[in-house]
Amino acid sequence: MNRPGFWLWAASLAVYAFLYVPLAVVVLFSFNDSVLNAQWVGFTTHWYAKLLHDEEMLRAAANSVLIALLSSVISTILGAMAGLAMHRYRFRWLPLLVLTPVAMPEILLGVSLLLFFRQVLDLTLGFMSILVAHITFSIGFVAVIVRARLAGMDESIFEAARDLGATPWATFHRITLPLILPALVAGFLMSFTLSIDDFVITFFVAGVGVTTLPLQIYSMIKVAVTPEVNAVSTLLMALTLTLIFLASRFAPDVLKAKA
Amino acid sequence: MRKPEAMPAARAQPADRSKWVVTLPPTLFLLAFFLAPALIVVAASLRDPGEFGGLAPWPAHSFDAYRFLFGDIIYLEIFARSFFVAALTTLLCIVLAYPLAWLIARSPARRRDLLVLLVILPFASNFLVRIYAWIMLLGPANLLYTPFAVIAGMVYVHLPFMILPLYTNLEKHDPALLEAAQDLGASAWTCFWRITFPLSLPGIFSGAALVFIPVLGMFAVPELLGGTGDILIGNLIKEQFLENRDWPLGSALSIMLTVAVLALAGSAAWAARKGLHGTEAVT
Amino acid sequence: MRRVAWLLLFCLSVARGEDVLHLYNWNNYVSDDTLARFEAQCGCRVRQDYYSDNEEMLAKLEAGAVGYDILVPTGNAVESLIRRNALRDLDKTQLPHLGNVKAEFRQPWFDPANRYSVPYATTVTLIGYNIEKMRALGLPTDTWALIFEPRHLEKIRGKVTVLNSQRELMAVAMKYLGHSVQERDVAKWEEAKRLILRAKPYWATFSNSTYIKDLAIGNIWVAHGYSNDMFRAREDARAARRPFTIGFTTPREGAVLAVDNFVLHKFGQRPDLAHRFIDFMLEGGNAADVSNLIGAGNANAAATPFIRPEIAAETGIFPPPHVLARLEMLRDFEPKMRRALSRMWTEIKVR
Repeated sequence: MNRPGFWLWAASLAVYAFLYVPLAVVVLFSFNDSVLNAQWVGFTTHWYAKLLHDEEMLRAAANSVLIALLSSVISTILGAMAGLAMHRYRFRWLPLLVLTPVAMPEILLGVSLLLFFRQVLDLTLGFMSILVAHITFSIGFVAVIVRARLAGMDESIFEAARDLGATPWATFHRITLPLILPALVAGFLMSFTLSIDDFVITFFVAGVGVTTLPLQIYSMIKVAVTPEVNAVSTLLMALTLTLIFLASRFAPDVLKAKA
Repeated sequence: MRKPEAMPAARAQPADRSKWVVTLPPTLFLLAFFLAPALIVVAASLRDPGEFGGLAPWPAHSFDAYRFLFGDIIYLEIFARSFFVAALTTLLCIVLAYPLAWLIARSPARRRDLLVLLVILPFASNFLVRIYAWIMLLGPANLLYTPFAVIAGMVYVHLPFMILPLYTNLEKHDPALLEAAQDLGASAWTCFWRITFPLSLPGIFSGAALVFIPVLGMFAVPELLGGTGDILIGNLIKEQFLENRDWPLGSALSIMLTVAVLALAGSAAWAARKGLHGTEAVT
Repeated sequence: MRRVAWLLLFCLSVARGEDVLHLYNWNNYVSDDTLARFEAQCGCRVRQDYYSDNEEMLAKLEAGAVGYDILVPTGNAVESLIRRNALRDLDKTQLPHLGNVKAEFRQPWFDPANRYSVPYATTVTLIGYNIEKMRALGLPTDTWALIFEPRHLEKIRGKVTVLNSQRELMAVAMKYLGHSVQERDVAKWEEAKRLILRAKPYWATFSNSTYIKDLAIGNIWVAHGYSNDMFRAREDARAARRPFTIGFTTPREGAVLAVDNFVLHKFGQRPDLAHRFIDFMLEGGNAADVSNLIGAGNANAAATPFIRPEIAAETGIFPPPHVLARLEMLRDFEPKMRRALSRMWTEIKVR
């Protein structure tokens, strides 16, 4: 049972297949020589060429990636703090505060944030309003993962460290961080996908002239979801893969303190 | 929601600064950007809809929205149906996620991050594009516009939210424990049910929270993959804001949903604490 | 990363500094060429944000979004915006080409003196169908009976989609029953609900967008939807060399007409540019664009010579006067009626 057995591999591969079959369709049809894009007609790279000249689409994609990166970094940090606090300090109200944004329907979250930004704070909508909204709905997801990681963890190790005179920061850096690192990675990836995929909340809080890829694509449904949309999705995945690869290569040493 | 009192080690901490350093930033952020806006919509649920949309001018207010919803069995029916779909989705996600999460957790450390990344990568493409891919796959199989398509879509969209928490939980389990049990003659199956599974419950619970809850608010999947009868609570809420211009009713529905979900999560946590006393915390 | 963010914010602030006109519009409603010509002529830039439904736009503005100079709402949404005091008066001295608007689209009920709105494009909600299939099955295509009567539906079970819109679907049920879409008697709407419930088991799904592709591929044979979408499905099917043709007809019982208009948002920063844009779009050659681009009907008389003949001749897009007379526009109801209709719609979905 220590090594993955045959059945485990078989089941896992089946699940990976479930995840990747639709994706294969997306990538394959980005090379389809048909506006209708319903059946395979022929191979072309035309859509990628078209995409390179589609300033609106590229700008939206750039916004999406930037917002996703920033919001997932910030929400990972805040979410991890919330997860730690829930685990360690037992405030009864904290889980409620953290989980309610996850439980709230996104339309309501979008409308309420827009009302708040405009009618209470009188902010100009734009990049920042989208960023703040994305952080708001991601924190809970990260906190829940971090909490699940910490659950049942033996707290005596922290006490021991303290008793030996370690500063809180040293305890955190040497013990807590390596312990929760897998949860941080998972939380980061989760917030990234939540952000890059969000349409409903972003629709409400997006400002004039600042659009994201989902907004761009949703507005096209009525027009036609051409293979160009598949092409931009494919590129987005390639970009994500590259960014994460680079990040894992050049990550600050703190994050490599994995035991 | 509340933490079980299972770990005496975490008893009263010295009132150190780090407690507030850790707690305050996320708390303040959520108070400012979640609770404050949320209070606006709670108030909105008690207002009257405006003649041409939005809200009627202050101070017109009433419990009409709630009275309307509670006075009609049909809304209860949609709630029940949505909770059933959410539960089924969650269950299927657990079944699909478990082997994969287990495999990743048992893989050599250097391969783990790659395997996790592979789980999330499809979700870096666009939601709508993935749903359209499903339309292409289900169409020829004559499964499009059926309840099956809705469930398949829901599971697909939410699966990573089950795999990731489960993996982060399974990853920390001590293999030595299992080896010891096996040395004592326990079969692989017994080991799983008696050791691994109970220890992974916090992972399952948090994954369940992250799947079950968002499914309830989801409207795009039933709208694009479902047939003529596939309406869920998310669709109903969307309709109030984006078709019917009835914000008070939409807010009231959302608040009822949120309260129902939190009550459910709270009682699940309570039941878990009662039933699995001495085990672990639940979200 | 932060540097990139600042750079982006910087770019945005620079963009604010120059002459920029902000449009909140439907996607693909003004062609890139037309926009480029306007930008060259006025020495300014046009930035567009998009919505795919009037209600999305209204909800967003209602919650306080600002910064848009021009909106392109449909008639009932114009009325709502006027009543919410969200629009700016047009300065007609800045619109010398206003006379190009067709007589039948002047002084609409939602803006009787054309104080706020200039009509741009029109759409009819009608029936699109697979011509060969309908002929083979011997089904009538000029009546709503095709999507409501079980005797027809039996032959096309599971091959029909209708709009996922309470307003649009219930409106055509009312038309089929011989009532007005602006009827205020709840009992008549109940009648429409029963008609829909009787037909529902035969429909594949409620669809607002996927029917375009489904029709063009041949997955479905009959769709209730917008004329410009049917036009799109027909063009797509032709481009993909499908062995069938998509046709669309306005049913003889009448149908729903939507007129989209340019209006100025009250909080727009550049009414000067907005007026220039609207007047530019009133010129025949530019106004014709939307018909050639997406197969929308046109409210501009001067546009007619510039519209591709096969589009201009399509009666589903340009209804002849006797058909136009049987079309009705949707009109918003008061909150109580809205809630009652929404309740019926929920019942339609659940049962």
